[in-house]
Amino acid sequence: MWETLIVNPFTNVLLLIYNLVGQNFGVAIIVFTVLIRLITHPLTAKQIKSTQAMQELQQSKEWQAIQKKYKDDKEKLGQEQIRLYKEKGISPFGSCLPTFIQLPIMLGLYQSVIRALAASPMQLLVLTRILWPLPGLSELIPINSQFLWMNLGQPERIYIGGIGIPFLAILVALTTYIQSKVTIPPVTDPNDQSAQMNRSMALMMPLMMAYFALSFASGLAVYIIVSNLLSLVQYAILGKVYWSNLLPKRGRPGSSKSEK
Amino acid sequence: MKTKVYVMLFFLAGLGLLLSGCASDLVAGTWPGVSADEARAYVAAGSFVYAVDLQTGQEVWRFPEKASTANPFYATPALTPDGEQLIVAGFNHILYSLDPVDGTINWEFNRSHDRYYAAPLIADELIYAASADYNLYAVTFDGDLAWQFSASQAIWSTPVSDGARLYFGALDRTVYALDARRGSLVWKQTLDSAILASPALGAEGQLYVASMGGRVYAFDSESGAALWPQPFQAEGQVWAAPFFLEGRLYVADVDGVIYTLDPATGRESQPRLHAGGTIVSAPRRFEQTLIFGTEDGALFLLTLPDEVQTFEVDGRLYGTPALVGETVLVAPYQADSPLIAVTLQGARRWSFTPER
Repeated sequence: MWETLIVNPFTNVLLLIYNLVGQNFGVAIIVFTVLIRLITHPLTAKQIKSTQAMQELQQSKEWQAIQKKYKDDKEKLGQEQIRLYKEKGISPFGSCLPTFIQLPIMLGLYQSVIRALAASPMQLLVLTRILWPLPGLSELIPINSQFLWMNLGQPERIYIGGIGIPFLAILVALTTYIQSKVTIPPVTDPNDQSAQMNRSMALMMPLMMAYFALSFASGLAVYIIVSNLLSLVQYAILGKVYWSNLLPKRGRPGSSKSEK
Repeated sequence: MKTKVYVMLFFLAGLGLLLSGCASDLVAGTWPGVSADEARAYVAAGSFVYAVDLQTGQEVWRFPEKASTANPFYATPALTPDGEQLIVAGFNHILYSLDPVDGTINWEFNRSHDRYYAAPLIADELIYAASADYNLYAVTFDGDLAWQFSASQAIWSTPVSDGARLYFGALDRTVYALDARRGSLVWKQTLDSAILASPALGAEGQLYVASMGGRVYAFDSESGAALWPQPFQAEGQVWAAPFFLEGRLYVADVDGVIYTLDPATGRESQPRLHAGGTIVSAPRRFEQTLIFGTEDGALFLLTLPDEVQTFEVDGRLYGTPALVGETVLVAPYQADSPLIAVTLQGARRWSFTPER
């Protein structure tokens, strides 16, 4: 089912794009990422709005009041929070949905990259059997896996003085950090629980993504970097980028939304 | 909010696990290769190369001592003519010379930057090892580099030699003819698609080459000139090396169709035969019989000109069978028994299941 619905169509679409962009697999991954971002844009826009609504709710007096009132009764606090969510029409997991959609896409893309590159005779045999019967598609094989300095089917390293520098993994960590950091509205109360969670996520996500980039085919890292940059563009279009979050806290107006 | 973070972390951890699982695709490898001498079979079957006693089907030794799951072995091992060295090549980019008696290492050749899929060719007192790093390496029996030649893409098939020249195809759609002693290019021809199979030499200096696109070409091995007005076009892709025998050229495609061609014209000279399952490797010859392994786990025997028999064996048989006397050795893909010995009548002699 997974193969039929995700991996095989992804692989064929990647190959079609590869053919259209002059048989450059790196460019094909980038174009594929742009397409995915365009298709999931309505969901992303919904997520951004949902996150904003959640932030506003958590900064409201009503929310603060129930936090204080039921601080010793977690069960009642939970019930009251759910009541508030319902009243305001907010889904607490609404902001997670696009992220969850990204995960199967990442997995599917990774498998598709490996499948399309077909690094061994057995993998090539499998690939030839899942190709759509479109003219010219089978003639593209084998795919050229070189893109800039990378072999897209292998983890990337740049060797300087015999030491392998994982340049893409660093770029993945950096773009994920920036993306996580500047898309969260500035907090008014640094002790706010949600602010603390956001801070830990902003550190955790780049590390996790960098680990993926470090360990797996560099085609995946290209996808993550382009996806992060496009995400920033999407947030910027909707006026939800807070560049001031990247600056040190000292001397920064804490509650300003001026950079929207 | 806390729940959301936990859910997110759970999904990320899950994705990491899934990707790790998929990473095995990178080294999932390919089908095993088997060769043999009078006493033993040698099978490169993933983590180990096994030497197996032909009489008992018992393991004699395995190489390396510890399982090499990240860097398996699949290229068919090759013996030097004096039987003193067994040449094996792995995904770890290393070509080894082993002592066939006990599997100890004589020497290592580690100039390749990528995996070896093709069996080494031993001819003209040199070892020719085709690598996925685009290079064909000529190595002396002492493990020294004699010369190397670079194609434009990976080489997955074994070259053939006529004593003076080497011929091989690469994924770059090109067939190359090299001076066997010096490694210099004599001629090359570009075909319609990637070349996955070894070429075949004819009786009078012809060279037959099959492409993945299902075309079969004939060239003059001396000059590289095309000999047929147009290439023969099979119905399916051709992964198996063409086979020249008794004035006929046999070609098998991935649909399991076997074509008999007139080597002079490239036209079909007798009706097509159907093996019933995918064929991706060249047949093994026994007198007037060609033995093909099929993906369906069968051995398809074609006794010239057109008598056929099929024996069910086991697993998926992608590689070329080995033959010692009247014993056929097959190495099924991803099977519990990486080596099975059957008679030419299809009776099983033994199956080798390694101890874990």
